[in-house]
Amino acid sequence: MQISQIIASGFLLLSFSVSSSEQLIADETEKFTAELSLAPEFCITSDEQLTCELTVKLEWKNQIPKPICILSDYDNMVRWCSESAEVNSFSLDISTTEDIQFVMIDKATHETLAGVKLKVTPTAGPKVRRRYRNPWSLF
Amino acid sequence: MNRLKLIVLSCFLLPFFTWADTAPPCENDLECIEIGQWDLGIALGYGIRSNPLKDFDDIPIYMVPTFAYYGESWYFDNGNLGYTLTEQESYTINLATSFSTDSAYFQRWDPSNIFLAGGSTFDSSSVANNNIGLFTRGVQEPTIGDLEKRRFTYLGGLDAFIYTRVGIINFSLAHDMLNVHQGTEAQLKWIYNLPVQDWNFELQLKLDWKSEEIVDYYYGVRESESPYWNQAFKSKSALNAGIELTSTYVMTQHWDLLFLARYTRIADAIAESPLLNEEYTSTLYIGSSYRF
Repeated sequence: MQISQIIASGFLLLSFSVSSSEQLIADETEKFTAELSLAPEFCITSDEQLTCELTVKLEWKNQIPKPICILSDYDNMVRWCSESAEVNSFSLDISTTEDIQFVMIDKATHETLAGVKLKVTPTAGPKVRRRYRNPWSLF
Repeated sequence: MNRLKLIVLSCFLLPFFTWADTAPPCENDLECIEIGQWDLGIALGYGIRSNPLKDFDDIPIYMVPTFAYYGESWYFDNGNLGYTLTEQESYTINLATSFSTDSAYFQRWDPSNIFLAGGSTFDSSSVANNNIGLFTRGVQEPTIGDLEKRRFTYLGGLDAFIYTRVGIINFSLAHDMLNVHQGTEAQLKWIYNLPVQDWNFELQLKLDWKSEEIVDYYYGVRESESPYWNQAFKSKSALNAGIELTSTYVMTQHWDLLFLARYTRIADAIAESPLLNEEYTSTLYIGSSYRF
């Protein structure tokens, strides 16, 4: 490889790292502009209780306060919209066996601002291992 | 070598052709057990285990328990204690105890029989006192007196399993741990499980080698029993061959139907003992089982 090629490669790497840094800054700025959080984020089911029944609280923070709408794939709450820009939380009673995705959009422009997911996780099944004898081997 | 031994040996070769192809474990409840939980059950029904000993009654079976506990490495399974040295997808090697069924033919309350409730009379003295034609071979053969006790013992050794698509190969080698007969026993088994909807069929073919010490201790004749037979019957190692079928039908979460059939062809080296008058032993049982 010649010296000119090495220098060219160096510039290429430098420009890549610069553009990556810019992207990171942009992402962080974007993340800061709109945040949507959920509590709790997980629901653990058991063999006895297969359905998650709980109240979740959605909270959001926008750099510029504005009315928003929350969309979800939960049948009982497909869309909810805040009345004013001052409202920044919303509680919802949920009964589900599956994950629920929430998306926050700008009420006026319908621009997607942030999203969050409620994860429904079954408890780990009982740990089993091979049995070396037939249960009726005493016969 | 008799026909059953040949069939059993042929079946052992089959899984080796599919050595690398491992069957997924835990396809049914009988193959696996929950770690850290007792598995308790009881079978109620009727069955009979034939006793190959002369003048000893067959053993009726009304009730049989099952109890097992498996930890991460240690396990206890129906009276046998074991420690898993290594468990891989395709094989397992255990240190394990076991007990042979030989002593069970002599004693009603042998651990192998203890739960087999029934009216069997394990009265060896009746043999001794009933000299008219008992324990004789032809008119000239001398009778055998009171039998000395044949004690139960635990064997300990290695127990290895190889898992293939066409069944499990199990090899075990165990030695007398309680210094009762100082013998060694080796077993080679092919186990095949076939679940069909609510049914499960487990077929097992078995070769069971017993060292001369074991044959002599259980089936040899002591001098006090008969000086003649003590000299006339010379013990040597023996190879039994067996076939077993255990089938269950799931009725409810806890109740199963249970059908068992076992047949063991006793090796000539044992069957020639004057204590025996059958060259086979069999077990049949039908009933229902409850798993807690």
